[in-house]
Amino acid sequence: MRKYLELLKSQIKVETAYLAWYWADVVSTLLRLVIMYFFWVAVFQNRTEISSISFESMITYVVIAMMLENYVSGAGNEMARNIKNGDIALELLKPYDYLTKLIFMDLGSKANSFVRTTIPIFLVANIFIGIQAPVSFEVAILFLASMLVGILIGTQIDLIIGVLAFWTVNVWGVRVLREAIVKFFSGALIPLTLFPGWFQEVSSFLPFQSMIFVPVAIYTGQINMGPDALIAFATQLFWLAVLFVVVRVVWTQAVKKVTVFGG
Amino acid sequence: MWKKCKRYTFLYGKYFSNHLKVMMEYKADFFIGLFSVMVQQFTALFFLKIVFDHIEVLKGWTFYEILFIYAIAFLGRSIHHIFFDNLWTLGWQYIRSGNFDRLLLRPVNPLFQIVAERVQQDGFGQLIIGGIVLTIASVNLEIEWTVQSLLLLFVFIISSGVLFVAINLFFITFSFWMVDSLPIVVSVFQLSEFAKYPLTIYPKAVTLIITWLIPYGFTAYYPATYFFERESMVAMALITPAIAVLSFVIAYWFWNKGIRAFTSTGS
Repeated sequence: MRKYLELLKSQIKVETAYLAWYWADVVSTLLRLVIMYFFWVAVFQNRTEISSISFESMITYVVIAMMLENYVSGAGNEMARNIKNGDIALELLKPYDYLTKLIFMDLGSKANSFVRTTIPIFLVANIFIGIQAPVSFEVAILFLASMLVGILIGTQIDLIIGVLAFWTVNVWGVRVLREAIVKFFSGALIPLTLFPGWFQEVSSFLPFQSMIFVPVAIYTGQINMGPDALIAFATQLFWLAVLFVVVRVVWTQAVKKVTVFGG
Repeated sequence: MWKKCKRYTFLYGKYFSNHLKVMMEYKADFFIGLFSVMVQQFTALFFLKIVFDHIEVLKGWTFYEILFIYAIAFLGRSIHHIFFDNLWTLGWQYIRSGNFDRLLLRPVNPLFQIVAERVQQDGFGQLIIGGIVLTIASVNLEIEWTVQSLLLLFVFIISSGVLFVAINLFFITFSFWMVDSLPIVVSVFQLSEFAKYPLTIYPKAVTLIITWLIPYGFTAYYPATYFFERESMVAMALITPAIAVLSFVIAYWFWNKGIRAFTSTGS
């Protein structure tokens, strides 16, 4: 466990070494927030609600979703890089579980994300935009738990994409594809309840909405506290378990491929 | 001058045919990239569609008007993405690694070499989507195309591409002083996202910044409004090519200044 924590710490150090990137992240995040805000202000011009979502509730959804979006990816990039340049063979020899290592390094990155994106969004959203607070203490607790599970689901999906690098050389393309799909189905941009019925139907069978929509909808009250919220949370746990197994299975297959290549 | 033009065209052809060979080597890569970028663009459009399913106009703008603006932005950006994508890498691939000295030794313009060394095939996805969206939008807006207006559209799209190139070139040039200015370029590029929507949805200050300071407004919004049947800002649309040329001249002047600063510290 200790060695993994050290990896986590070293990742934080590596990333904070580039101060310019820190500011670039802060600036980019804030600009995105500003665009989003004015877009929604324009949408709500001359109306008080859109399919019974008020402006305040919509902005709260969008801002919280934006915060979470930064946490649902990352671990797969390092893996894809290792695979592409051949380092993976060395990684496999090292005295740690490679997947666990990636997950811990990813946690390090996410600690940085917290400082670079979550805090700026949170401050600006509170001072200038005004977002709603969770309606009750229980909602807040369930939101935090649900958010954590959502982040872990994101990491597993990301690892699956990373493993794909064994088969596709172009990891960049696959990554763009994953980003687009996740944005689409996770509810990162807009509450899934605004989508057409068929789309909601499809996404209810996919793991993506567990990443962002479920936690944020719990926060904003689109998923009611009580049985609804608990079922949604249970579904998240289900997906996390399934994906965890899938990653390990795909990974074992992929590693066999490495050994074949290695002769 | 004519001889020089011919030589550079010949050289670019050489670089390009090499790229084609590499591309054909990795066909799967090519299609994954193409497809992914198209899906990515589609996401943005779908988002807009969902919103417009619930509203009719966005601060006075219809769905197809906004699509039309999007399309011009996509097309301009794709020109930049396909042919000039290598600019992003100036810091880490050329200056940090010392590769830039190699370029300086050759009797060919270093900027040309950097640009020619990569063709980003994924950009074709953007080009395709941009073309489709433009067609759909103009059919629905019932725009009557004439030879003159089509020509103008073409000029606007090229100008949009030139603007993206000029702005990136300007900010990546800082790399000559700070090794890698990519973080700055990325932050500035984020501003181009503002230009996807009609500028009237923003406060005056924002509009001024992306019109006169970092002219992303001319990459889509101003030229697009020219084709809408409403009292649009015709003058603003028509100065688009001039703004593009001016921006490029400034950026290129700055670039040359950067190279001089770089070589003087090199020895």
